[in-house]
Amino acid sequence: MHCMGKNDHEAIRAVLGGDKEAFGALVMRHSHSLFRVAFRITGNEADAEDVVQEAFLRGYRKLESFESRSDFGTWIYRIAVHCALDRIKSSRANEASRLAEETDPELDDVQVADLAAGPDRLLLSGEIGALQQTAMQSLTPTERTAFVLRHMEDCSTEEIGAALGIAPNAAKQAVFRAVQKLRFRLATLRVKV
Amino acid sequence: MKHLTEEELIGEAFGERRGKSEAANEQHLATCAECAQAYAALQNDLAEVAPVEPPARDANYGERVWQSLAPSLAVYRADKRRWLRTGLWKGLSYAAACALLVACAFYAGRQWEQRQPHITVVKSAPPEVKQHVVLVVLSDHLDRSERLLVELKHADAGSTEMVSPMRDEARSLLAANRECRQNAKQIDDPALATALEHLDRLLGELANQPEGLNTATILRLQDEMNADGLLFKVRVLRSRIPDQQTTGTNRSKGGTI
Repeated sequence: MHCMGKNDHEAIRAVLGGDKEAFGALVMRHSHSLFRVAFRITGNEADAEDVVQEAFLRGYRKLESFESRSDFGTWIYRIAVHCALDRIKSSRANEASRLAEETDPELDDVQVADLAAGPDRLLLSGEIGALQQTAMQSLTPTERTAFVLRHMEDCSTEEIGAALGIAPNAAKQAVFRAVQKLRFRLATLRVKV
Repeated sequence: MKHLTEEELIGEAFGERRGKSEAANEQHLATCAECAQAYAALQNDLAEVAPVEPPARDANYGERVWQSLAPSLAVYRADKRRWLRTGLWKGLSYAAACALLVACAFYAGRQWEQRQPHITVVKSAPPEVKQHVVLVVLSDHLDRSERLLVELKHADAGSTEMVSPMRDEARSLLAANRECRQNAKQIDDPALATALEHLDRLLGELANQPEGLNTATILRLQDEMNADGLLFKVRVLRSRIPDQQTTGTNRSKGGTI
């Protein structure tokens, strides 16, 4: 997934020895790859930047538990995936909560959250990939993350399992369900458009 | 013909390695039009969900991330406790490993020892050593006996002061004298055996007088001792012992006493 440089280990030793600035080299070296995966999972630039910062922050605080035999790039990448997953989970929860609270006082009825944009909006927006984004929103956070890692980041099933903290077979099933849902959603949207 | 499942098609699309089934699936896709069509549709759908290219970040992006992050990071102290903790754990681990190794070696040794046939080597003392011990005991016995006989010879028949110690010594010598007599018989030394037999009688009378040693008894024993020449015999026997020790022979020159 990532190549490990000797410099990473040296920087980590320096940080643990009291040289905080040495962590800057690690941040600068791995920021771009973390931003890429964070953006692909969250689908949002601002969220991706937040995820990158949070991942490095968590990594710094857990640096003592980092095993010197491991690859720092892989380690911090997995932390970023976790952060991104947490981000989209909390976003979904907040969105659902917000829409659920928007009740009609006269009908006393709860409006069900519909995260997918309608075909009309798709036609009007003209954004490239809007259809794709809409389809992606039909996935659960885990399915979405697993699919992004497999389809876009070219991670193996084992790597996805390790990043999500689940068994490889569970990761494989998550990817499978994601593809099924995406295809179904895409087919539906094509008919509507 | 068994068609590929959707899961198998997805696996094919992502190039998952499955060994033999991978080759079989590829062969099936080459020959089955229905599955090939389904596979093509899947690939089109996946292509539609193309990898999202993230907005470009400039070369200073990492620097900016670091600048925004740095103020909130606390400096790690070069903590001696961490080093000590690590060192302590390492030391304890090594100690535990050594202890385990020693325990295993001890257990293995015990097991090995138990599986070996028990060979109890009881070496009897060499004849020379045994003989030497007998001679030392005999020498000691004759020495004590000689002293007792001298006391008896010079005992004042009218005085009873020496009576009690002589009787106690005689009782003490009786048991040893019997041992020496048995040995003398075993080694076939008639002179020694005869002398010890006379000594046995005298010691028995000295030790076992029911009414105690009185003047008459002492005089009688003195006469017997002188008549037998017992004191002389004992001295001669005693003088032979150093020779026997050095020559290693236990046989006397037969009736020379």
